[in-house]
Amino acid sequence: MVDWETRVELRLTGLALEPGERAEVIAELAAHLAETCEELRKQGITEEEAVQRTMSQVEDWQKLSRLIQTARTKENIMTNRVKQFWLPSLLTLLLSMVLLLLIQFFGPSPWTSDSGNHLRMTPVAVVYVSWLLTLPLIGAMGAFLSIRAGGSARAVFSSIMFPVFPYLAFVVVGLPVALILDDHVAHNITIPAFFVGLSAWVIFPAVALLAGGLPVQIFISRRLNYRRIAGG
Amino acid sequence: MIGTGIKRGTAELAVLSVLEYGPLHGYEMARRIEKQTKGALRFTLAALYPMLYRMEQRRWIHGVWENSSSGRRRRCYRITPAGKKKLSPLRREWAELFGALRRLTKVSNG
Repeated sequence: MVDWETRVELRLTGLALEPGERAEVIAELAAHLAETCEELRKQGITEEEAVQRTMSQVEDWQKLSRLIQTARTKENIMTNRVKQFWLPSLLTLLLSMVLLLLIQFFGPSPWTSDSGNHLRMTPVAVVYVSWLLTLPLIGAMGAFLSIRAGGSARAVFSSIMFPVFPYLAFVVVGLPVALILDDHVAHNITIPAFFVGLSAWVIFPAVALLAGGLPVQIFISRRLNYRRIAGG
Repeated sequence: MIGTGIKRGTAELAVLSVLEYGPLHGYEMARRIEKQTKGALRFTLAALYPMLYRMEQRRWIHGVWENSSSGRRRRCYRITPAGKKKLSPLRREWAELFGALRRLTKVSNG
Protein backbone atom coordinates (compact mmCIF):
# COMPACT_ATOMS: atom_id res chain seq x y z
CA MET A 1 0.00 0.00 0.00
CA VAL A 2 1.51 3.29 -1.07
CA ASP A 3 1.45 6.12 1.48
CA TRP A 4 0.71 8.97 -0.91
CA GLU A 5 0.54 11.65 1.75
CA THR A 6 4.06 10.91 2.94
CA ARG A 7 5.32 10.84 -0.65
CA VAL A 8 3.79 14.24 -1.35
CA GLU A 9 4.90 15.73 1.97
CA LEU A 10 8.51 14.68 1.39
CA ARG A 11 8.49 16.34 -2.01
CA LEU A 12 6.72 19.57 -1.06
CA THR A 13 9.35 20.62 1.46
CA GLY A 14 9.49 24.15 0.09
CA LEU A 15 5.77 24.77 0.59
CA ALA A 16 5.68 27.44 3.30
CA LEU A 17 2.01 27.70 4.23
CA GLU A 18 0.26 27.63 7.61
CA PRO A 19 0.42 24.04 8.98
CA GLY A 20 -3.33 23.41 8.55
CA GLU A 21 -3.37 24.81 5.03
CA ARG A 22 -0.24 22.86 4.10
CA ALA A 23 -1.79 19.63 5.40
CA GLU A 24 -4.90 20.28 3.28
CA VAL A 25 -2.85 20.79 0.13
CA ILE A 26 -0.86 17.63 0.80
CA ALA A 27 -4.04 15.61 1.47
CA GLU A 28 -5.67 16.90 -1.71
CA LEU A 29 -2.70 16.18 -3.95
CA ALA A 30 -2.24 12.75 -2.34
CA ALA A 31 -5.90 11.89 -3.00
CA HIS A 32 -5.46 12.89 -6.64
CA LEU A 33 -2.36 10.73 -7.01
CA ALA A 34 -4.05 7.79 -5.29
CA GLU A 35 -6.98 7.93 -7.70
CA THR A 36 -4.67 8.22 -10.71
CA CYS A 37 -2.76 5.17 -9.53
CA GLU A 38 -5.94 3.19 -8.83
CA GLU A 39 -7.19 3.95 -12.32
CA LEU A 40 -3.94 2.72 -13.85
CA ARG A 41 -4.11 -0.46 -11.73
CA LYS A 42 -7.65 -1.09 -13.03
CA GLN A 43 -6.18 -1.04 -16.53
CA GLY A 44 -3.98 -3.99 -15.53
CA ILE A 45 -0.75 -2.10 -15.02
CA THR A 46 1.56 -3.41 -12.29
CA GLU A 47 1.72 -1.44 -9.06
CA GLU A 48 5.33 -0.43 -9.58
CA GLU A 49 4.63 0.84 -13.10
CA ALA A 50 1.41 2.58 -11.97
CA VAL A 51 3.20 4.39 -9.14
CA GLN A 52 5.98 5.45 -11.49
CA ARG A 53 3.52 6.79 -14.07
CA THR A 54 1.49 8.54 -11.38
CA MET A 55 4.52 10.27 -9.95
CA SER A 56 5.65 11.33 -13.43
CA GLN A 57 2.70 13.78 -13.50
CA VAL A 58 4.93 16.18 -11.60
CA GLU A 59 8.32 16.77 -13.17
CA ASP A 60 9.50 19.44 -10.74
CA TRP A 61 8.07 19.37 -7.21
CA GLN A 62 9.92 22.51 -6.16
CA LYS A 63 8.31 24.39 -9.01
CA LEU A 64 4.92 23.00 -8.02
CA SER A 65 5.54 24.18 -4.42
CA ARG A 66 6.29 27.67 -5.67
CA LEU A 67 3.23 27.74 -7.93
CA ILE A 68 0.91 26.54 -5.17
CA GLN A 69 2.37 28.97 -2.68
CA THR A 70 2.01 31.88 -5.09
CA ALA A 71 -1.57 30.88 -5.94
CA ARG A 72 -2.59 30.57 -2.28
CA THR A 73 -0.83 33.57 -0.80
CA LYS A 74 -0.13 36.21 -3.44
CA GLU A 75 -3.70 37.36 -3.78
CA ASN A 76 -4.14 37.45 -0.02
CA ILE A 77 -1.58 40.21 0.25
CA MET A 78 -3.28 42.42 -2.26
CA THR A 79 -6.91 41.55 -2.82
CA ASN A 80 -8.56 41.94 -6.17
CA ARG A 81 -10.55 44.91 -4.92
CA VAL A 82 -7.33 46.70 -3.98
CA LYS A 83 -5.65 45.92 -7.29
CA GLN A 84 -8.65 46.58 -9.49
CA PHE A 85 -10.15 49.61 -7.76
CA TRP A 86 -8.35 51.17 -4.81
CA LEU A 87 -4.83 51.25 -6.20
CA PRO A 88 -5.71 52.77 -9.61
CA SER A 89 -8.23 55.13 -8.02
CA LEU A 90 -5.92 56.45 -5.34
CA LEU A 91 -3.08 56.80 -7.84
CA THR A 92 -5.22 58.84 -10.22
CA LEU A 93 -6.49 60.99 -7.33
CA LEU A 94 -3.00 61.57 -5.96
CA LEU A 95 -1.54 62.39 -9.36
CA SER A 96 -4.36 64.80 -10.23
CA MET A 97 -4.04 66.57 -6.86
CA VAL A 98 -0.26 66.89 -7.16
CA LEU A 99 -0.56 68.26 -10.69
CA LEU A 100 -3.19 70.78 -9.61
CA LEU A 101 -0.99 71.88 -6.73
CA LEU A 102 2.03 72.30 -9.00
CA ILE A 103 -0.02 74.27 -11.53
CA GLN A 104 -1.40 76.51 -8.75
CA PHE A 105 2.13 77.23 -7.53
CA PHE A 106 4.08 77.46 -10.73
CA GLY A 107 1.41 78.34 -13.29
CA PRO A 108 0.11 78.77 -15.89
CA SER A 109 -2.63 80.91 -14.38
CA PRO A 110 -6.19 79.65 -14.53
CA TRP A 111 -8.80 81.08 -16.84
CA THR A 112 -11.30 83.21 -14.92
CA SER A 113 -14.63 84.40 -16.21
CA ASP A 114 -14.28 87.93 -14.76
CA SER A 115 -11.08 88.83 -16.63
CA GLY A 116 -11.27 92.49 -17.62
CA ASN A 117 -14.47 93.10 -15.70
CA HIS A 118 -13.52 93.96 -12.13
CA LEU A 119 -17.01 95.17 -11.23
CA ARG A 120 -18.60 91.81 -11.80
CA MET A 121 -19.20 89.95 -8.55
CA THR A 122 -20.63 86.48 -9.22
CA PRO A 123 -20.47 83.96 -10.65
CA VAL A 124 -16.73 83.74 -11.17
CA ALA A 125 -15.45 80.62 -12.83
CA VAL A 126 -11.86 79.56 -12.18
CA VAL A 127 -10.86 76.93 -14.69
CA TYR A 128 -7.39 75.41 -14.62
CA VAL A 129 -7.20 74.67 -18.33
CA SER A 130 -3.68 73.25 -18.14
CA TRP A 131 -4.83 70.87 -15.38
CA LEU A 132 -7.82 69.77 -17.46
CA LEU A 133 -5.46 69.04 -20.35
CA THR A 134 -3.47 66.60 -18.19
CA LEU A 135 -6.55 64.75 -16.95
CA PRO A 136 -7.11 62.53 -20.04
CA LEU A 137 -3.68 61.05 -19.42
CA ILE A 138 -4.52 60.39 -15.76
CA GLY A 139 -7.88 58.85 -16.73
CA ALA A 140 -6.10 56.61 -19.24
CA MET A 141 -3.63 55.52 -16.57
CA GLY A 142 -6.41 54.68 -14.11
CA ALA A 143 -8.25 52.67 -16.75
CA PHE A 144 -5.12 50.80 -17.80
CA LEU A 145 -4.13 49.85 -14.24
CA SER A 146 -7.63 48.64 -13.43
CA ILE A 147 -8.03 46.66 -16.68
CA ARG A 148 -4.59 45.09 -16.27
CA ALA A 149 -5.61 43.89 -12.79
CA GLY A 150 -8.73 42.31 -14.31
CA GLY A 151 -11.14 45.00 -13.10
CA SER A 152 -14.80 44.88 -14.10
CA ALA A 153 -16.28 47.66 -16.25
CA ARG A 154 -17.61 49.29 -13.06
CA ALA A 155 -14.19 49.17 -11.35
CA VAL A 156 -12.49 50.62 -14.43
CA PHE A 157 -15.06 53.41 -14.71
CA SER A 158 -14.72 54.25 -11.00
CA SER A 159 -10.93 54.29 -11.29
CA ILE A 160 -11.14 56.75 -14.19
CA MET A 161 -13.60 59.04 -12.39
CA PHE A 162 -12.15 58.85 -8.89
CA PRO A 163 -10.30 62.23 -8.98
CA VAL A 164 -13.61 64.10 -9.32
CA PHE A 165 -15.28 62.30 -6.41
CA PRO A 166 -13.89 64.65 -3.71
CA TYR A 167 -15.19 67.69 -5.63
CA LEU A 168 -18.50 65.95 -6.27
CA ALA A 169 -18.76 65.11 -2.57
CA PHE A 170 -18.09 68.76 -1.74
CA VAL A 171 -20.84 69.94 -4.11
CA VAL A 172 -23.37 67.31 -3.07
CA VAL A 173 -22.64 67.12 0.66
CA GLY A 174 -20.21 69.85 1.77
CA LEU A 175 -21.90 72.80 0.14
CA PRO A 176 -25.47 72.08 1.34
CA VAL A 177 -24.12 71.53 4.86
CA ALA A 178 -22.17 74.82 4.67
CA LEU A 179 -25.30 76.60 3.41
CA ILE A 180 -27.28 75.36 6.38
CA LEU A 181 -24.62 75.97 9.02
CA ASP A 182 -22.86 79.11 7.78
CA ASP A 183 -24.83 82.31 7.12
CA HIS A 184 -21.84 83.83 5.35
CA VAL A 185 -21.92 81.13 2.68
CA ALA A 186 -25.71 81.25 2.41
CA HIS A 187 -25.65 84.99 1.73
CA ASN A 188 -22.84 84.96 -0.79
CA ILE A 189 -23.48 81.99 -3.01
CA THR A 190 -25.82 82.25 -5.98
CA ILE A 191 -27.39 79.53 -8.08
CA PRO A 192 -25.39 80.45 -11.20
CA ALA A 193 -22.19 80.33 -9.13
CA PHE A 194 -23.15 76.87 -7.95
CA PHE A 195 -23.45 75.61 -11.53
CA VAL A 196 -20.26 77.37 -12.61
CA GLY A 197 -18.40 75.68 -9.76
CA LEU A 198 -19.99 72.34 -10.59
CA SER A 199 -18.89 72.67 -14.21
CA ALA A 200 -15.35 73.81 -13.44
CA TRP A 201 -14.59 71.23 -10.75
CA VAL A 202 -16.80 68.25 -11.57
CA ILE A 203 -18.20 68.22 -15.09
CA PHE A 204 -15.17 69.46 -17.07
CA PRO A 205 -12.68 67.26 -15.14
CA ALA A 206 -15.02 64.27 -15.50
CA VAL A 207 -15.25 64.80 -19.26
CA ALA A 208 -11.46 65.21 -19.49
CA LEU A 209 -10.83 62.02 -17.47
CA LEU A 210 -13.32 60.05 -19.57
CA ALA A 211 -11.76 61.40 -22.78
CA GLY A 212 -8.58 59.56 -21.84
CA GLY A 213 -10.02 56.64 -19.91
CA LEU A 214 -12.83 55.44 -22.15
CA PRO A 215 -10.71 54.82 -25.27
CA VAL A 216 -8.33 52.81 -23.11
CA GLN A 217 -11.23 50.86 -21.61
CA ILE A 218 -12.60 50.08 -25.08
CA PHE A 219 -9.44 49.36 -27.05
CA ILE A 220 -6.72 48.23 -24.63
CA SER A 221 -9.02 45.96 -22.63
CA ARG A 222 -9.83 44.11 -25.85
CA ARG A 223 -6.13 43.69 -26.66
CA LEU A 224 -5.32 42.53 -23.14
CA ASN A 225 -8.17 40.04 -23.25
CA TYR A 226 -6.85 38.52 -26.46
CA ARG A 227 -3.33 38.37 -25.05
CA ARG A 228 -4.58 36.80 -21.81
CA ILE A 229 -6.65 34.21 -23.67
CA ALA A 230 -3.88 33.26 -26.05
CA GLY A 231 -1.01 33.46 -23.59
CA GLY A 232 -2.61 32.25 -20.43
CA MET B 1 -2.31 19.13 -31.00
CA ILE B 2 -2.99 22.44 -29.30
CA GLY B 3 0.08 24.40 -28.13
CA THR B 4 0.97 24.91 -24.48
CA GLY B 5 0.27 28.66 -24.40
CA ILE B 6 -3.20 28.29 -25.82
CA LYS B 7 -3.92 25.41 -23.44
CA ARG B 8 -3.00 27.57 -20.45
CA GLY B 9 -5.39 30.21 -21.67
CA THR B 10 -8.23 27.76 -22.02
CA ALA B 11 -7.80 26.30 -18.56
CA GLU B 12 -10.01 28.67 -16.60
CA LEU B 13 -12.79 28.43 -19.15
CA ALA B 14 -12.56 24.63 -19.15
CA VAL B 15 -12.75 24.40 -15.35
CA LEU B 16 -15.63 26.85 -15.03
CA SER B 17 -17.49 25.12 -17.87
CA VAL B 18 -17.34 21.64 -16.33
CA LEU B 19 -18.20 22.97 -12.87
CA GLU B 20 -21.27 24.67 -14.29
CA TYR B 21 -22.90 21.23 -14.46
CA GLY B 22 -22.17 20.35 -10.84
CA PRO B 23 -19.45 20.03 -8.19
CA LEU B 24 -16.39 17.92 -8.94
CA HIS B 25 -13.14 17.10 -7.21
CA GLY B 26 -9.80 17.73 -8.93
CA TYR B 27 -9.24 14.26 -10.35
CA GLU B 28 -12.79 13.98 -11.70
CA MET B 29 -12.49 17.46 -13.17
CA ALA B 30 -9.30 16.57 -15.06
CA ARG B 31 -10.91 13.35 -16.35
CA ARG B 32 -14.10 15.12 -17.42
CA ILE B 33 -12.19 17.83 -19.30
CA GLU B 34 -9.98 15.27 -21.03
CA LYS B 35 -12.99 13.16 -22.04
CA GLN B 36 -15.13 16.05 -23.24
CA THR B 37 -12.30 17.58 -25.30
CA LYS B 38 -11.33 14.13 -26.67
CA GLY B 39 -7.87 14.43 -25.16
CA ALA B 40 -7.08 17.87 -26.59
CA LEU B 41 -6.97 19.34 -23.08
CA ARG B 42 -5.16 17.31 -20.45
CA PHE B 43 -4.46 18.52 -16.95
CA THR B 44 -1.74 16.92 -14.92
CA LEU B 45 -1.75 17.43 -11.18
CA ALA B 46 1.04 20.03 -11.55
CA ALA B 47 -1.04 22.10 -13.94
CA LEU B 48 -4.43 21.68 -12.30
CA TYR B 49 -4.02 22.52 -8.62
CA PRO B 50 -2.13 25.84 -8.79
CA MET B 51 -4.88 26.97 -11.16
CA LEU B 52 -7.69 25.72 -8.92
CA TYR B 53 -6.16 27.50 -5.92
CA ARG B 54 -5.78 30.68 -7.91
CA MET B 55 -9.39 30.50 -9.05
CA GLU B 56 -10.48 29.85 -5.49
CA GLN B 57 -8.58 32.93 -4.33
CA ARG B 58 -10.46 34.92 -6.94
CA ARG B 59 -13.67 33.40 -5.55
CA TRP B 60 -14.74 31.93 -8.87
CA ILE B 61 -14.86 28.46 -7.33
CA HIS B 62 -15.17 27.16 -3.79
CA GLY B 63 -13.73 23.91 -2.45
CA VAL B 64 -15.27 21.87 0.37
CA TRP B 65 -13.96 18.64 1.90
CA GLU B 66 -16.33 15.71 1.45
CA ASN B 67 -16.17 12.00 2.15
CA SER B 68 -16.60 9.79 -0.90
CA SER B 69 -18.54 6.49 -0.86
CA SER B 70 -15.18 4.69 -0.66
CA GLY B 71 -14.40 6.62 2.53
CA ARG B 72 -11.72 8.76 0.93
CA ARG B 73 -11.71 12.47 1.77
CA ARG B 74 -11.78 14.62 -1.31
CA ARG B 75 -12.09 18.32 -1.90
CA CYS B 76 -15.07 19.09 -4.10
CA TYR B 77 -15.16 22.33 -6.03
CA ARG B 78 -18.28 24.16 -7.07
CA ILE B 79 -18.70 27.26 -9.16
CA THR B 80 -19.64 30.42 -7.23
CA PRO B 81 -21.96 33.21 -8.41
CA ALA B 82 -18.80 35.24 -9.21
CA GLY B 83 -17.51 32.31 -11.29
CA LYS B 84 -20.79 32.07 -13.18
CA LYS B 85 -20.58 35.79 -13.82
CA LYS B 86 -17.03 35.36 -15.14
CA LEU B 87 -17.98 32.47 -17.42
CA SER B 88 -20.12 34.39 -19.91
CA PRO B 89 -17.51 37.09 -20.77
CA LEU B 90 -14.86 34.35 -20.99
CA ARG B 91 -17.01 32.45 -23.49
CA ARG B 92 -17.64 35.60 -25.45
CA GLU B 93 -13.92 36.48 -25.54
CA TRP B 94 -13.09 32.98 -26.78
CA ALA B 95 -15.79 33.12 -29.42
CA GLU B 96 -14.42 36.49 -30.57
CA LEU B 97 -10.88 35.14 -30.68
CA PHE B 98 -11.85 32.03 -32.64
CA GLY B 99 -14.01 34.13 -34.96
CA ALA B 100 -11.06 36.43 -35.60
CA LEU B 101 -8.75 33.48 -36.25
CA ARG B 102 -11.27 31.88 -38.59
CA ARG B 103 -11.56 35.09 -40.57
CA LEU B 104 -7.79 35.41 -40.66
CA THR B 105 -7.21 31.87 -41.88
CA LYS B 106 -9.95 32.25 -44.49
CA VAL B 107 -8.23 35.38 -45.79
CA SER B 108 -4.84 33.61 -45.76
CA ASN B 109 -6.25 30.58 -47.61
CA GLY B 110 -8.25 32.70 -50.03
